[in-house]
Amino acid sequence: MRDTDNMEAEMEYDDGEEEPSFSDPEDFVDDISDQELLGDVLRDKPQEADGIDSVVVVDNVPQVGPDRLEKLKNVIQKIFSKFGKITNDFYPVADGKTKGYIFLEYSAPSHAQEAVKNADGYKLDKQHTFRVNLFTDFDKYMSISDEWEAPEKQPFKDFGNLRHWMEDSDCRDQYSVIYDSGERTGIFANDVKEPIEVEERARWTETYVRWSPKGTYLATFHQRGIALWGGEKFKQIQRFSHQGVQLIDFSPCERYVVTFSPLMDTKDDPQAIIIWDVLTGQKKRGFHCESSAHWPIFKWSPDGKFFARMTQDTLSIYETPSMGLLDKKSLKINGIKDFSWSPGDNIIAFWVPEDKDIPARVTLMQLPSRNEIRVRNLFNVVDCKLHWQKNGDYLCVKVDRTPKGTQGVVTNFEIFRMREKQVPVDVVEMKEGIIAFAWEPNGSKFAVLHGESPRINVSFYHVKNNGKIDLIKMFDKQQANSIFWSPQGQFLVLAGLRSMNGALAFVDTSDCTMMNIAEHYMASDVEWDPTGRYVVTSVSWWSHKVDNAFWLWTFQGRLLQKNNKERFCQLLWRPRPPSLLTQEQIKLIKKDLKKYSKIFEQKDRLSQSKASKELVDKRRTMMEDYRKYRERAMDMYNEQRPLRLELRGVFVFSGGVWTIIGEKN
Amino acid sequence: MRPILLQGHERSITQIKYNREGDLLFSVAKDPIANVWYSVNGERLGTYNGHTGAVWCVDVDWDTKNVLTGSADNSCRLWDCETGKQLALVETNSAVRTCGFDFSGNIIMFSTDKQMGYQWEILKVAKEHTKQINDIQSSVDLTMVISASKDCTAKLFDSTNLEHIKTFKTERPVNSAAISPIMDHVVMGGGQEAMEVTTTSTRIGKFEARFFHAAYEEEFGRVKGHFGPINCVAFHPDGKSYSSGGEDGYVRIHYFDPQYFDFELEA
Repeated sequence: MRDTDNMEAEMEYDDGEEEPSFSDPEDFVDDISDQELLGDVLRDKPQEADGIDSVVVVDNVPQVGPDRLEKLKNVIQKIFSKFGKITNDFYPVADGKTKGYIFLEYSAPSHAQEAVKNADGYKLDKQHTFRVNLFTDFDKYMSISDEWEAPEKQPFKDFGNLRHWMEDSDCRDQYSVIYDSGERTGIFANDVKEPIEVEERARWTETYVRWSPKGTYLATFHQRGIALWGGEKFKQIQRFSHQGVQLIDFSPCERYVVTFSPLMDTKDDPQAIIIWDVLTGQKKRGFHCESSAHWPIFKWSPDGKFFARMTQDTLSIYETPSMGLLDKKSLKINGIKDFSWSPGDNIIAFWVPEDKDIPARVTLMQLPSRNEIRVRNLFNVVDCKLHWQKNGDYLCVKVDRTPKGTQGVVTNFEIFRMREKQVPVDVVEMKEGIIAFAWEPNGSKFAVLHGESPRINVSFYHVKNNGKIDLIKMFDKQQANSIFWSPQGQFLVLAGLRSMNGALAFVDTSDCTMMNIAEHYMASDVEWDPTGRYVVTSVSWWSHKVDNAFWLWTFQGRLLQKNNKERFCQLLWRPRPPSLLTQEQIKLIKKDLKKYSKIFEQKDRLSQSKASKELVDKRRTMMEDYRKYRERAMDMYNEQRPLRLELRGVFVFSGGVWTIIGEKN
Repeated sequence: MRPILLQGHERSITQIKYNREGDLLFSVAKDPIANVWYSVNGERLGTYNGHTGAVWCVDVDWDTKNVLTGSADNSCRLWDCETGKQLALVETNSAVRTCGFDFSGNIIMFSTDKQMGYQWEILKVAKEHTKQINDIQSSVDLTMVISASKDCTAKLFDSTNLEHIKTFKTERPVNSAAISPIMDHVVMGGGQEAMEVTTTSTRIGKFEARFFHAAYEEEFGRVKGHFGPINCVAFHPDGKSYSSGGEDGYVRIHYFDPQYFDFELEA
């Protein structure tokens, strides 16, 4: 080992310069606190054991005599040593029996807190339910002042009508646009002529944005957390501090937000995933998270009452608003691979792969009862994917199997009919590899893209009431790798995104006709508006650096607008809250639709002619101004004619007079 | 419209110019040859040989007597138009990017990459574009100039005071623009720079020349046909045809159909 004394002497600089001094100047005061530099190390600094912080008081302990004392102590030891090392215990005695309460001291205050959290309410037997409290709490509760001070009233923050955008007289939907490679975010109202800018801010978000499921809030991402914006003027409604947040998810009812950050997690204080209450801004609960590969990690039941996540061999279901485990324990399901909630009911579907002799199976479980309402065994399974229909009417399980004796993989669709008794299952066998699958929202059809490039086919199936699943139509030689159904059903767009250069096909599935075939070169995204009237195809700067734009089409495939935006990144339609109309009201409106459509058509015609009149007027003024300018220019041009002729040797100026040499210009 | 295809260059076209009467069309490219063609039928009249590098610019005087070319071989050469003989050579210290005759044909100008060391009296500066300007052309009567820029716009200026009059917007960088001598139209050609294109549309001949109405700033037509970005456009002095030279090495001469002259935007 080198002698460090000689290090300085050995340090030499090539040009013989003196070694620079690295010490701080004489009067330098460090402006960074120890806490900032070594926060995590300081956290582990051994605290002076105050003693009383680690003590708990346990009440409702059985009162026993000295003969049973040893047994009691063992029981207590067994129960309470789960939370930490018990360093001291004290069983006060009176009249030969224990008093009924005891003191336990742990090696650290955190253990005492654990004990309080978990053992309080522990039922030892019918007559004895432990009450566990921190010793310090007694002190606190004893010294509550007699005077009760009412908490200060917080001023009411009026954010205005959070559903303001729904009141637009022309029923325009809004969408968010991120462009300038993320520098600018704008909210536009969708008008057929051209987008109307509602709000536009620079650096509104640092990465991207998300709408809440009912469209009430816009969430923006920042280094320090998430901000929620809403109302007519998009004021900031709420802020959640979660350093380094990367992903978020909303509960379907918009009451809770789940945020994920890979930075914040520590062993004692789970902070990777945090669930927040949207209205109060409170942190409700934190969770650990190993990887965010399959976001959202927590899946919500459609009514927001439960949320669940899957870890190794376990399905943990939590209930709101307590954020505690349903029935206080997780479900042990060996080998569980995937699960999802029905979008319509509190039912979870999950599947488990083959285990030695037990075949793979898909299970439907009702919650909170945990009844398994259906189990389906599957054989020779390689993989499964769960696809729910939007209302929860059907579940499709795409099963990839390797039948015995063969090498290849075939795919079946197991269709579960959720609305029928006993949930019957029908099987549709597919002869080719599956590229995409999608249910019709609000309907009972589904579309499948199958085959291999370049021979890709699309098939439409109808799940009939009589137990049959019919193939309605198949189109072959399609340039498509994704299916986008209209949110109202019936219409869909087949798109060949990215590598397939943006080929688009607009299909009406009521009679399976191709309404229009078009192309948006290098399109990377397709987004339907929430009403199903318009489709936006876009080329995002994140996937292609040229020609970034979003195009607006009608649902029939007629191109309405091409909007070029400098380095356009993302467009998201603002979702609509569910309709407030009852079924009867909707039926009435559909009956009178002819009457309403006449009024709307007239309105459209008026606005069209107004637009063309505006355009015509604008052009007229532009032309007039231009003409005037040209007249002025031509006057000057004519004045300069002699000069020009002179330059080209046609005119000569002598004796104060211009004479023409030879007419040439 | 019927296009005439001129194939005379082995590399991409850098500039094309009509002479004053419009019967001749001069084209230069990144190969060392300058060509001159009959614009009525596309027949080649001759070539001017002598440059040893890419020829960036060309001009012809008002009388179609002399031709001027500037090249990457650090020289600017004067040629006799009719015989093709090289009359003069001006050596420079770097590539010559633009060159031209004055109105009388007696004075020539050229500019190079590096500073020339001459002091010019700058009469007016107009900074309207946000990215580099690729081309400037004036109208036939010299009252207006149009500039084409990489910022995807072309702008029309008054030539006496450089007042910015109109802007024409596209989604692709504009390499060249020209003003029609007889109609209120401008034509623009452009496209993504060859270096920056990583994927191009597989459709053949997608690169288009775009026509805008000069007063309304609205696009009303496009002409397809080039296989690469268009580097230079020019109107025939009589306004009845126009030409474009592209990255693909072809020059295309287009004669307008009668409908072009009758076309009117609703106003």
